[in-house]
Amino acid sequence: MGTATGIIKALNSGIKHLAVKRFTLRYPEQKLKFVGDGYQFDPASGVAIAGLKGRHMLFHDHCTGCQLCSIACEGVAEAIAMVKVPDKWGQNAKSIMPQIDYGKCVFCGLCVDACPFYALYMSNDYELSSFTKEGLIYTPAQLQVKPQVQQDSELIIDKRGARHG
Amino acid sequence: MAEQVIPTKKMPPGLQVENVDDRIMTLNVGPQHPGSGHMRIIVKIDGDYIVDADPDPGYVHRGEEKMAESRNYITNIPHLERPVIHDSCNILYPYVLGVEDLVGIEVPERAKYVRVIAAELNRCIYIQYWLAIYGIFLGHSTMFMWPAGDRELLIDLMEKITGARVTHAYFIPGGVRNDVPANFEDVCLRQVNYFEKRIKEYADIFYDNPILKARTEDTGVLSREDAIRLGTTGSVLRASGVDYDLRIKEPYDVYDELDVHTNVLKAGDSYARSKIPWLDMLESCNIIRQALEKMPKSGSIRTKLKPNPKGREDEVYRRVESGRGSAGCHIISRGKPEPYRLKLSVSSFRNLIALPYLLKGEKLGNMPAVYWSLNYWPVEADR
Repeated sequence: MGTATGIIKALNSGIKHLAVKRFTLRYPEQKLKFVGDGYQFDPASGVAIAGLKGRHMLFHDHCTGCQLCSIACEGVAEAIAMVKVPDKWGQNAKSIMPQIDYGKCVFCGLCVDACPFYALYMSNDYELSSFTKEGLIYTPAQLQVKPQVQQDSELIIDKRGARHG
Repeated sequence: MAEQVIPTKKMPPGLQVENVDDRIMTLNVGPQHPGSGHMRIIVKIDGDYIVDADPDPGYVHRGEEKMAESRNYITNIPHLERPVIHDSCNILYPYVLGVEDLVGIEVPERAKYVRVIAAELNRCIYIQYWLAIYGIFLGHSTMFMWPAGDRELLIDLMEKITGARVTHAYFIPGGVRNDVPANFEDVCLRQVNYFEKRIKEYADIFYDNPILKARTEDTGVLSREDAIRLGTTGSVLRASGVDYDLRIKEPYDVYDELDVHTNVLKAGDSYARSKIPWLDMLESCNIIRQALEKMPKSGSIRTKLKPNPKGREDEVYRRVESGRGSAGCHIISRGKPEPYRLKLSVSSFRNLIALPYLLKGEKLGNMPAVYWSLNYWPVEADR
């Protein structure tokens, strides 16, 4: 008798879920909303600001070419290489800026923690797939572009369960 | 009659020429089969019954310990969480505690609470993943879908705190890397409450299901004495009736200020071993709620560390209760920015030792039920 009621209870538990809304996020149409504009670091207080660790944002007017981000990456992924940039900036005597290989990057954000000049942030852009390996290497000019993201889907929890909307 | 040729050279396990027996057959389970993960179990079967089992881990050895010797204390963080990416906060926890001892820095009170919340969330994330695989091992596909879906609730929370969904690199010697976002307490409470309601529904469909009970009860029974003698930890030890949880026995950070209960079952069979992690998740929800209540509302979350910190000449061993059991980290420092030697002591490897004892005499069909109930993670065992 116990076996029969157990099986009925188990079936019933599953059947109840036919009325529950679908929890899945339908990805390319819906995109999850994140907190803030991405992971940032404030060297003055020594504490970072919460946000998604996505593709980097490089501010050319702040970067001094000090290579601290590249040094921070050395033991982690060796994804950052310092390359020459054509334009001249007053604070950047050597005219070198980081170029990031997303085939190697592990998105730990230690390079952002290392930057003392507010030049390197991480943005909400996580769609970095490419058909070639070269396409994953982002030059300083590409890193400068602010990503256009349409992320507005939020998690809704009500009596009928959780769903994305 | 031809004389039997016995090879003199020692071959790797599973490849030796063995005395052929009419009844005994050697079967390699893995290393590619998803039913074993990245490891191999060499089982000898007599008909349907296992007479001998020899686990053969080591296929995903990455040399994490050796790598740690050439990197400094901060750049070690992203790669040391790789052994168990689903439980990355807990596998990093002993390392961070150890480095704090060596460098000699204090952690702010708020950071300790944030760490506990992150660690408990991560424990649930790991157990949900483990439970999903346990469900599909037993052919219960609903139990694969439900934990995999509900896990997203907590992954979203972790992503809000740390900025990454799986490998967080969040803990750092001296605290945590960033503060929780504004309004986090409400969001966390809402999602954890819903999560708790959801996992309670697993009882009807999985844990009280007579089909599952018939499959897992009285299979792979590990007695209390054997569990202690074999050196198992975590859920395997507690399923055998030993009340041992490092969160209570050796409290770290703020676990001594929280009301933590351990879940102990006496049966020691696969069913008990699969139920303990589920009870742990319910307990984790309680701990998270307590920590959210007691957490200081504001304050520092990170003690500033020198850019390239040097540890004092000493050695330190710290351990924490991870999703699988005790996770320890032994660091030897020679006053350099890099550790001289780092040893990870992980629970997966310790629990694996029990596998040959448990499988002897079982049916081959029960092998996945016994093997995965050991809360084993192949990558963690190989490191």
